[in-house]
Amino acid sequence: MAHRKIIHIDMDAFFAAVEQRDHPEYRNKPIIVGGKPDTRGVVATCSYEARKFGIHSAMSSDRAYRLCPQAIFIKPRFEAYKEASCLIRQIFSEYTELFEPLSLDEAYLDVSHNLSCRGSATLIAKAIKQSILQKTGLVASAGISYNKFLAKIASDMDKPNGLYLIAPEQGEQFVKTLAVGKFHGIGKATEKKMHALGIKTGWDLKQQSLSFLIQNFGKAGQYFYNISRAIDHRAVNNHRKSKSVGVETTFQADIKEHAEIIRQLQQLLEKALKKLQDKGLNAKTLTIKIKYDDFVQITRSRTLAISISKAIDTTSILENLLKNTAVGQRKVRLLGVALSSFDNQLLNYRQMDLFDYT
Amino acid sequence: MNFIINREQLLIPLQQIVSVIEKRQTMLVLSNVLVTVNDNELVLTGTDLEIQLVAKIYLQSYESGEITVPARKFLDIVRLLPNEAEIKIELKDDKVKVTSGRSRFSLSTLAADNYPEFSESELDNQFLMNAGQLKKALNKTVFCMANQDIRYYLNGLLLHVSNSKLKMVASDGHRLSIYEDNIGTATGYESRIILPRKGVVELSRLLEDDDTELNIQFSSSNIRIYIKELTFSAKLVDSKYPDFSKVFDQPFFNQIHIQRQLLKDALTRVSILANEKFKGITFDISEDLLRLSSHNPEHDEATEELIIEYQGEPLTIAFNSQYVLDAVSNLDSELAVLTIASNASSCFIEEPEQQLYKFIVMPMRL
Repeated sequence: MAHRKIIHIDMDAFFAAVEQRDHPEYRNKPIIVGGKPDTRGVVATCSYEARKFGIHSAMSSDRAYRLCPQAIFIKPRFEAYKEASCLIRQIFSEYTELFEPLSLDEAYLDVSHNLSCRGSATLIAKAIKQSILQKTGLVASAGISYNKFLAKIASDMDKPNGLYLIAPEQGEQFVKTLAVGKFHGIGKATEKKMHALGIKTGWDLKQQSLSFLIQNFGKAGQYFYNISRAIDHRAVNNHRKSKSVGVETTFQADIKEHAEIIRQLQQLLEKALKKLQDKGLNAKTLTIKIKYDDFVQITRSRTLAISISKAIDTTSILENLLKNTAVGQRKVRLLGVALSSFDNQLLNYRQMDLFDYT
Repeated sequence: MNFIINREQLLIPLQQIVSVIEKRQTMLVLSNVLVTVNDNELVLTGTDLEIQLVAKIYLQSYESGEITVPARKFLDIVRLLPNEAEIKIELKDDKVKVTSGRSRFSLSTLAADNYPEFSESELDNQFLMNAGQLKKALNKTVFCMANQDIRYYLNGLLLHVSNSKLKMVASDGHRLSIYEDNIGTATGYESRIILPRKGVVELSRLLEDDDTELNIQFSSSNIRIYIKELTFSAKLVDSKYPDFSKVFDQPFFNQIHIQRQLLKDALTRVSILANEKFKGITFDISEDLLRLSSHNPEHDEATEELIIEYQGEPLTIAFNSQYVLDAVSNLDSELAVLTIASNASSCFIEEPEQQLYKFIVMPMRL
């Protein structure tokens, strides 16, 4: 079987790069797109100049400020990012119809059937990077390989302005030496758990039996088993629809009172429902996320037989979800609400409802 | 207990009562009709605990007493006896004997003591209304009521009395009907109650004679309506009706005038090829022209063009054809007037001469 040719394109410091492009005065300076330091917000993206100070995305803005007080904090301008993202997707479409955006600044492309550049995926990736730079003034990194998993790892190898190929014969060897924390799909928590089990590299992971992995990691076990062998059959899916809609908020000051938490969750749920409505979707699963003051995070979810809307008694569902949590006893730093399990049938025909006005 | 009665006196009240009684009962006695003879009055009672219907019939020959008998069997016997038959009903031991001419029936009974009382609160508010008026109001609204919606307050009819004004509203969220009228006298109060769906359906069956004056009494939890010899009672839906006033507070496109019958016919034809489940039909409206179109997953397509009266910006909007058909079918005029909100978020359907009723249909996003 011929190998597929997958490219993973990842924009470098996307939000920050757009800001630096649009505001020459920000260039070559540590800039942070995200929440202001005194708001308990987080870093969405920071420029490479800021990264030198140890700042990274998802870090609290407060901490970023302490690491680099001279950094410039900028409120995100999603409209500008969307516009750039649109241009970039247009460029992708010139090379293949089979591309799967993961977010505004990231996408997989399947160029197996693209005959330009003598069929060389590396040259196609180079041409795409060039085109992106020309049309948007932004720099991208590209990873090229024969499946999504490796392409994504490759794009990260040589950032910024990277171009990295993992050829079919290198795949397995490459994964062997990789630290498990570098694997896409292995987050901090899983990494910790793997370390505790003595699994530190791809090679260690490959030594584990499938049943052992499933016992320890559930459904993800199969995925880990495969990727440790550099096997990933996931197709690049251009019909990908978002699987969930969520909103979350970090509080100015930790909250503790049960009633206040319910009130906040209701507000978040309302926002999430609005988002869902804008997308013309219906969801059946409600998930809440709670981050306690010690940053320990839990989620609780429930799937209903009917779609979630304001018409149903969401308060009692929320109350139920909170039963198995420490809410009321422990301080809460962040709350989030996500809606998923979309009813696709209704996707294209959505009857408007008189009482859905907000 | 015994009495003699003419079949015609008994049949209709008995039919009305049986209609209230649920076919499947958890309490056996609820599938029975309560028969009470008191002085020269026969009182028949049926209930499902949510609604209750009581009929009173004048008797000439009687002996007082009370008992319950299986309602459906009793009705079938009375129904199948010949016209104008004289029926004798008699309680003997624990059986009710029904005899007429050479027909004899013996029905099992349950003691009247077991029959549940229909609890009602004090009915503080009251007004009078003509049965014909109420019938029309129900006809123009009931079809919009929700059925088994999780938003239980929509499975009913809003009755809003504001001094001498009466407003009735029904909606399943996808469409809404409003009927507004005056009631002869000033009531001096403002009140909103929701009649449950089943009660509304049963009530509309009781309004045979247009000239009957109805006495409507209600509290926040119960309603009772006197219809000649009948007393209809219902427990109300314990909820607030959702606010729909925002639908009026928005800018609209100019009115569109369409020949009602032509619209009905075209809609019916175009919906043949609409998606079976969603029945979506696109309305493309431009100056004096309406184009209706539909398509389905099998790639069948239909279009119809209608000459209309419309001056203004062209617009496109889609609806579930059934909702538009239901509304248009309930207009009595030759012309249908459609008024669409500027952001295409809703459509009003009414008659050119302002009537007591109007309909709102919510669009569909295709």
